[in-house]
Amino acid sequence: MNVLDIRGLTKKFGNFIAVDNISLSIREGEIFGFLGANGAGKSTTINMIASLLRPSSGEILILDRDIAKQSRFAKMNLGMVPQDLAIYEDMTSYENVSFFAGLYGLRGTELKDRTEEALQFVGLADKAKSYPRDFSGGMKRRLNIACALAHKPKLIIMDEPTVGIDPQSRNYILNSVRKLNEDGCTIIYTSHYMEEVEEICSRIAIVDHGKIIAEGTKEQLTATITDMKDIRIEVKSLTDVPADQLRLIPGVRTVRLDEMEPVIRIHSDAAVDNLNRILKELIASGAEIRSVEEQEPNLETVFLTLTGRNLRD
Amino acid sequence: MNNIVSIAVKEIKHDFRDRRTLLFMLAFPIVLMLILGLALTNAFSSNVKLGEMKVLVKDTSHGGPLADAFTSFTAELKKSDIHFETIKKGVNGLEEIRQNRYDGYMELTDSGISLYGNNQSAIEGNVIEGMLKAFTDKYNAVSAVAKVEPAKVSQLFVPSASANGSYIKETSVNANRQPGSMDYYAVAMSVMIGLWGAMSAGRLIRSEIVQGTAPRLVATPVRRSELFAGKVLGSIVQNFLCVLIVVLFSKFAFGAYWGEHLGIALLILLSEVVMSVSLGLGVSYLFKGKASTGILLLFVQLASFFGGAYFPVSVSGTDMANYIVLASPIRWANHALTELIYGQSSVFSAAWPAISLNLGLAVLLLAVSAVFMRRKEGL
Repeated sequence: MNVLDIRGLTKKFGNFIAVDNISLSIREGEIFGFLGANGAGKSTTINMIASLLRPSSGEILILDRDIAKQSRFAKMNLGMVPQDLAIYEDMTSYENVSFFAGLYGLRGTELKDRTEEALQFVGLADKAKSYPRDFSGGMKRRLNIACALAHKPKLIIMDEPTVGIDPQSRNYILNSVRKLNEDGCTIIYTSHYMEEVEEICSRIAIVDHGKIIAEGTKEQLTATITDMKDIRIEVKSLTDVPADQLRLIPGVRTVRLDEMEPVIRIHSDAAVDNLNRILKELIASGAEIRSVEEQEPNLETVFLTLTGRNLRD
Repeated sequence: MNNIVSIAVKEIKHDFRDRRTLLFMLAFPIVLMLILGLALTNAFSSNVKLGEMKVLVKDTSHGGPLADAFTSFTAELKKSDIHFETIKKGVNGLEEIRQNRYDGYMELTDSGISLYGNNQSAIEGNVIEGMLKAFTDKYNAVSAVAKVEPAKVSQLFVPSASANGSYIKETSVNANRQPGSMDYYAVAMSVMIGLWGAMSAGRLIRSEIVQGTAPRLVATPVRRSELFAGKVLGSIVQNFLCVLIVVLFSKFAFGAYWGEHLGIALLILLSEVVMSVSLGLGVSYLFKGKASTGILLLFVQLASFFGGAYFPVSVSGTDMANYIVLASPIRWANHALTELIYGQSSVFSAAWPAISLNLGLAVLLLAVSAVFMRRKEGL
């Protein structure tokens, strides 16, 4: 059964076409990744699904019902976790969740139980009486999620739910997403972190210039890329890495420095044998190389190949 | 209906937990009321405080009924701090008056009494003249009675009956109660914070957008009309509660006079709050972002200034300034409350024009807001 069906969806702002004739189906139980750079049309699509924007044309069906005609039914079955925190700083965690759950018609004991359950789910049960203004970024993000869960929606839209938080809170949220999915919830997940999407999404759509340019499982998407390779070089420190020099080497498309590990990630044309030249540049600049690995294309490679830019550009 | 109440309760909680709002809506008007009420006490007082009055008397009469009656008269007036001193030999009474040493100079002869007033203390002179006139009228009346029925003279000149009050007749241009400074500013400040509701209402929708909660609210099954109604209701209740607290504080803590119809007075204030909230909401839909806040702030300040929030403003003539004064919602409410509290009109004619004007404008502004809201995507 499809939880969401989008047919010929278009949104125009004046002469600008933000979403261009998109069609898409999401099945029950999926975690559907929605990838796109800023301005690709991803948020506009999500906002139309959540009834925040009216489509210029096309239709959206949630559980087979047109949201334009049966808006209340659609909204009752939808939970929204907006990218920007959508919580009241001067209301306690409990009051926040309870207020939003109350707007879905929950009352009395049911409202109380569901509120406590949602707070328990995101690990904030002991902070029920605390105000979000005293919370860390991660705790606020978790409360932001709890506010979308208490009414037990069939479909949850999570728009960048892990942006700007510490790794611990990020792991907590990703585990929560998996748990929600195990409990039968269908999730639309957007993120700038490709690794997250790879890790938790069962199916992915890549959006660019208002159109869906690719759709499928991670394996299906990476299988389409045969002319690219990923080179992963682990170094002792990134300070001596001549990133600009590396970008000038024939075949190199992008160079990304990952400070967390520290690692250099290079996307390159598979047909060009340039590994020796890359290593020479690094050694000449004094970089201390620890390991070199040529990897199979991942989602980032797919995204780069299809859109010509990085997701975080 | 439940959703409207939930949203209204959320709004009230939000505002009452915001210390800045409380400071602005409660502490500021109360402190201003106290400062202006105490500082401008004299500006609102219609009483003139007179000190001790001294009258110099030259008695050249040879006793008799007039002299006796005058002695009784002076003895009574001493109780009212009017002291009569007999002139000493060699002293010129008129010169004493010129030197401002006495408030009046009297010459008592067998043929009558002459009074010389002091131009430098005109009020005191008038008081003395008025009382002397009362005395002479009474003396003349006694003389006339004595000629016809001498036995009844004693009934007319009973000393206790001529106690100080009988020589003083209180007359006033307006005998009704007039507002003192605290009374005036209690009304003015309450009316002013009623209008301030426009500013908080101007942020009703924008605050959800700024906080990031607008998308979540729109994504809920709550109709936008419910959201709108809940927010308006919450804002009205919150602002009216602030007005109510200021009214009650002024009444019980500062002793401000709110008249015999406090319920009707509160109804006038409630209608003003409804209009203010509608105004704030209307302006926030007509002008985007911070422009609406600026416009509302300017309007509220001008309306307060010209409407008599800081000092009484009278309307006379037909010049532009008067039109501005009459256009201030603070003036409507202030005027209606003054008429109501001080009984200058019937309850109905005092309250009804202001209430109907406020509610009429509120309906118009809410209708404009509703039209703009329906056209808009999201909140």
